[in-house]
Amino acid sequence: MARPTELLDDVLDGIDVLLVFSPSGAYYDRVKDVEGADVVVVATENAVGAETFVELPLAFDDVKERIRFGIEGALSEGAVEDGDALGCAAPLFGDEVDMVARTKVDESRHSGIYDLFANSRAEPGVIRDVFEVAIELGQKGQKGEPVGALFVVGDAGKVMNKSRPLSYNPFEKSHVHVGDPIVNVMLKEFSRLDGAFVISDSGKIVSAYRYLEPGAEGTDIPKGLGARHMAAGAITRDTTAVAIVLSESDGLVRAFKGGELVLELDPEEY
Amino acid sequence: MQVDFSPVLDPEFRYVLALAVLFAGVALGYVVGRVNERLLLALGVDDAVEGTSIERMARDVGASTVTLVARLTSWIIYAFSVLVALQVAELTVQDAVWYPIVGFIPSVVIAVAVLFFGVIAGDKAELFVSERLRSVKVPEMSVVPKVVKYSVLFVAVLVALSQVGVAIDALLVLLAAYVGSLILFTAVATHQLLTSAASGVYLLLRQPYGIGDRVAIGEHEGIVQEVNVFVTRVEDDGREYVLPNHLVFDRGVVVVRE
Repeated sequence: MARPTELLDDVLDGIDVLLVFSPSGAYYDRVKDVEGADVVVVATENAVGAETFVELPLAFDDVKERIRFGIEGALSEGAVEDGDALGCAAPLFGDEVDMVARTKVDESRHSGIYDLFANSRAEPGVIRDVFEVAIELGQKGQKGEPVGALFVVGDAGKVMNKSRPLSYNPFEKSHVHVGDPIVNVMLKEFSRLDGAFVISDSGKIVSAYRYLEPGAEGTDIPKGLGARHMAAGAITRDTTAVAIVLSESDGLVRAFKGGELVLELDPEEY
Repeated sequence: MQVDFSPVLDPEFRYVLALAVLFAGVALGYVVGRVNERLLLALGVDDAVEGTSIERMARDVGASTVTLVARLTSWIIYAFSVLVALQVAELTVQDAVWYPIVGFIPSVVIAVAVLFFGVIAGDKAELFVSERLRSVKVPEMSVVPKVVKYSVLFVAVLVALSQVGVAIDALLVLLAAYVGSLILFTAVATHQLLTSAASGVYLLLRQPYGIGDRVAIGEHEGIVQEVNVFVTRVEDDGREYVLPNHLVFDRGVVVVRE
């Protein structure tokens, strides 16, 4: 007869690194000297004072996303290597660690999503807020009709110099920041209009109605995407900004950085 | 018709009256204590004092802050009714001994209440400041919440002492010196922050330049990336200058238009 804990042996047998997600202090004390595997703590803040720590810029609700993000982060920080076998311990239903999983590091699936949040000019919280607006807009559309939108986040000074106004800027002389609930409504209303939103590093909405004029040569984005995506890819190549695009035709939210598509997600899944 | 007052003046009856007063006082004290407890609980005082040193002290003696306060009010009323009963029974040997003491009770009660709230406020202030400073992981910072706590306590003690009529002139001088040095220190240490903030308010309200404009502040020229209350971030050729806003007023600003 096997005891229940022995059944878990297969899951954690021969792992190189153990990723622990948001552990409590007591849990970390138990886990930190575990034999045969390095321990990497993945959390929104290093509350337990762990040696190897990967910061989560947002608390992903989906555990699969959280683990994927943690792995990408650990890979970027050099805590894990391609081909390592990983054990993951994470809280799923409660606040305490209550699940374990096993996975492998696969460098080819490296999407750059960690890089998008952690190593961008703009603050991670600002990028997250813009994602939330784009996702909400993708779910509901504008009065039931699908809409498209383009948000350029960070490096606002340079972006403003590489774009021109299509009309009067409704955000002129205002001090509104993404993330305020009322601003999300405003952004939704203005998304009916053409052009891009420009948002600064700290989340201030600098302008709407901007026509982006980056040099588009050398921008390589998947074929079949329209002018909005091309403009988004090109502006991130010319500046250090990040562009978040909601496609009008297929309803997907895509993020561009350094001229490349780094993330694609379906608003309906959130 | 003539009312006969003689039974009221009868010593036997006075004892009965005194007993009645005593019982009424006990009943009243009990009821007031209970009502007080309910009231404090309804006001959420038990949650508010959670984790403060008074609550911990109360827990040590097997009670809570709320029940302690409620009992205290009951006991004050008990003591008062006993005094009134003694008065009615004319058992007091000398009125002169009682009156100053009775007259003193309100001051003592207020002093105790002030101390009580001072301790709670001090603990709360300490908790609040340390929560705020939690992200600043510098060990020296742990002194700040303590300073805040003892400052609040000091003021509470002063108020309480003045309430019971203790001479506190020397302590007042100490407080004045302390507050004065604090203000001086703050003014000197944060002088530039304050002037920057004042300039920043002007810049945010009037917006002489905005994000994307090319400006020169002092010897730094570049494109404005961000303006907030304290600093303006100007970027040029991969170099980002973080310029305090008071420089804008000290040195002036050139908005470059091609």
